[in-house]
Amino acid sequence: MFFKKKKQTEDPKEVPISNSLEKNTKHLKQLFSFGLNKDFSVREITARYSNKKINLFFYSSIVNSTKIHEGIIRPLLEAQGDDLTTIITLENIKESKDFGEVVDDINSGNIVLFLEDSNKAFSVNVADFQHRGIEKPENENAVKAPKEAFTESLYVNISLIRKRFHDKQLIAEAKPVGARSKLDVTVMYIKDVVNNEVLENVRERLDNLTIDNVRNIESLEQYIEDRPYSIVSSLLYTERPDRAASYLEDGYIVLLMENSSACLILPVTFWSFFHSEEDRYLRFLFGNFSRLIRFLAFLISLLISAVYVSVTNYHNEMIPPDLLLAIVSARERVPFPVVFEIMLMEVSFELIREAGLRIPNPLGPTIGIVGALIIGQAAVEANIVSPIVVIIVALSGLSSFAVANISMNYTIRLTRFIFIFSAAFFGMLTLTGAFLLWVMYLASLRSFGVPFLAPLSPNFQSNRDTIFRKMIKNEYFRPGQLKPKDMRKKG
Amino acid sequence: MFKKESRLGAREGFAMITMMIGVKISNTTPSMFAQTGANAFWLMPLISMSVILPSVILLYYLLKRYKDKNLVELTEHILGKHVGKFVAFLLFVIFFTLLAIEGRSYTEQLKMLYFPESPTPFIFFIFFMIAFYGAKRGLETIGSTAWAFFFYIKASVILLAFLALREVIFARIFPIFGNGLVPLLTEGAKKASLFSDIFLLAMAYTAFDSTKKFRKGVFSGFAFVFLEMTFFFLLYCTIFDYNSIDKVAFPFHEITQYVNMGNFFTNIETFFMIFWLFAALIKYMIYLYLISWIFGAVFNIKEFEPLILPFAFFGIVAGMVPENAVINELVFKSNFMDMITPFLIFFPFLLWVTAKFKGDLKR
Repeated sequence: MFFKKKKQTEDPKEVPISNSLEKNTKHLKQLFSFGLNKDFSVREITARYSNKKINLFFYSSIVNSTKIHEGIIRPLLEAQGDDLTTIITLENIKESKDFGEVVDDINSGNIVLFLEDSNKAFSVNVADFQHRGIEKPENENAVKAPKEAFTESLYVNISLIRKRFHDKQLIAEAKPVGARSKLDVTVMYIKDVVNNEVLENVRERLDNLTIDNVRNIESLEQYIEDRPYSIVSSLLYTERPDRAASYLEDGYIVLLMENSSACLILPVTFWSFFHSEEDRYLRFLFGNFSRLIRFLAFLISLLISAVYVSVTNYHNEMIPPDLLLAIVSARERVPFPVVFEIMLMEVSFELIREAGLRIPNPLGPTIGIVGALIIGQAAVEANIVSPIVVIIVALSGLSSFAVANISMNYTIRLTRFIFIFSAAFFGMLTLTGAFLLWVMYLASLRSFGVPFLAPLSPNFQSNRDTIFRKMIKNEYFRPGQLKPKDMRKKG
Repeated sequence: MFKKESRLGAREGFAMITMMIGVKISNTTPSMFAQTGANAFWLMPLISMSVILPSVILLYYLLKRYKDKNLVELTEHILGKHVGKFVAFLLFVIFFTLLAIEGRSYTEQLKMLYFPESPTPFIFFIFFMIAFYGAKRGLETIGSTAWAFFFYIKASVILLAFLALREVIFARIFPIFGNGLVPLLTEGAKKASLFSDIFLLAMAYTAFDSTKKFRKGVFSGFAFVFLEMTFFFLLYCTIFDYNSIDKVAFPFHEITQYVNMGNFFTNIETFFMIFWLFAALIKYMIYLYLISWIFGAVFNIKEFEPLILPFAFFGIVAGMVPENAVINELVFKSNFMDMITPFLIFFPFLLWVTAKFKGDLKR
């Protein structure tokens, strides 16, 4: 509205390919700044089958040179045949008629062949982008679960998912995104399960992106999400292919991109942030026990500091006398009010966490020493904080790690401060109110049209996989809140 | 597909009506009943229920016959524009006054029990501010939240009942009719507006996913909360004896202070207060939302949600009118409940007779 759109000038890329090889070569060399651009390579060959000149264009840094040699150059020099397609031994050959396509192809790691006296270009995929191998998940650890994680290559990631779900209806649809640097966002879904309305919604959002460059899933998340200012994320970020596959099976949509060692799952509910894939692999009781612990951790992390503030300030009759005496005697020489004390420790804890994350590996142990000794022991000995507050804050910090998902983790950490302030304001009255309003906020959210607390409320036909899950044998349905085309999973 | 359907189903209706009426178990209503009913006041909900039930059924029958109409639209449709608007406005006044009086009552409870040094208007303000923000999020969210909290609130109540059981001396229900059958019946009938909330919730008739789910939810909730209320009133009657029952101002909170969990946790009233507050706040959110809706419907204001803020504010102002808590309870609340009972009983009959006369019901 306020900024003018980029002017649509005559784009040199949109020129059609001419019949003259010389002209085409010159144009392409100019487009790619040949000579200046060191890894842009041009190779001239006289093909044996036609005795005509063929020019090859590619970026030498992003192609597989043995593949080019074995599959293209050698056949061209040696083999005999009728036309190009019978000579080149690689998987597929694409024809294109204008420079726009040619440029995109070269950028994404194809080799492009221009023939003498032909107004067509042929491109062959020989891309070989460098990437890490498949490693263990770094952030979503599990004991009883597959140990493969996504890596920064789209093909590898798709293959990891396909490996887990063999179905011809599993679609990996590519949507190019970005005006300057075009990258494909791969939308994966199961065609006869996914809800079309959600799928259309995603496609629309991807189509409507007017931006030069989206580098990876992590930034894509922020471009397509519902409420950028919200305290809760509306997409699930996971690095586990088994998790992605199980969501796909339930009718969710998975977004993948080159350069990201993770995927995005949508639409999400509160429960997808709360669950971990491992509690489906664990047996019924074990899995639910782990969920119970996590739910406790969730509540402790959210509320314990706030409850401490409100109980000690406003409702101290609630504390049993012996405990009250213990707290009072511990606080005897601390000069600060309770809220300040709690805030001091909470902020220090956040500092340790942030510093611990950014600190170079060799220095890692330092943070433990500094954190534990200075903040823990010295602060207590110096009467800055009381030991009970250290316990409370350590407990709330520890519990927040049990909420594994990174988005939910931030949500909790931010909310905790809101609750501490509200508890300081009017004790349990405001704390209760703040908690209620926070839950109401969650209840009012929608992620791509799906209510955030479903299927708890509103109710849908589903497996009721909320805090606890059912026996795996008794799970008959896909989550009804997504309105999948195929509701039944079993039986 | 996602946009059109409402998120409110039978569960939400059930939870909402249970919250709205159920909170009355834990406020000053039982002590008001005990003034006249003495140790037999646990029978009064039964009497009130049997007095008001025909009207409720009639109203819901009419709502069912005239499909897709909420309370105000129904009234206007049957009684004509002017009379209908007048009656609907009366409904608004009734529920607004209830909001103010009961709001004050809750504030006084909070103040006396937990914040004795804070000024009443300030607590009132905070209480209604929270309710306002909740109401602002819309009925669907309130319904969902009501259901999400339902189990936790009821679990705390069951825990309380369980802990209180050992204080019960069952013989205290005798004499079975307390001060006598006649005063019990008259008082029970007079206070039939105990269940007025079910009339208010009829405003949300069309907001639900389907009207069938609405009826199912509301009536099962109504039955549930009636049983719960009778059970709890019985509990109060048998815990506090004949002499002291009418002197206990807040039986629910009295019990929470009475009970303990073992020898270590002896003062657990704040624990129950949290769940009590959840229920009370959700009730006020529903009230604020529906009252603004009635007002908007009467005065043809389509976008009624901005009205929630002024009504929350005027609710505080009106609630501050009674001089003190005692007057608020024993004069304002008691008399007002008596006053609106005949209106609530006869209003559905008026609708029904008019509809019958107009010939709408033949089909």
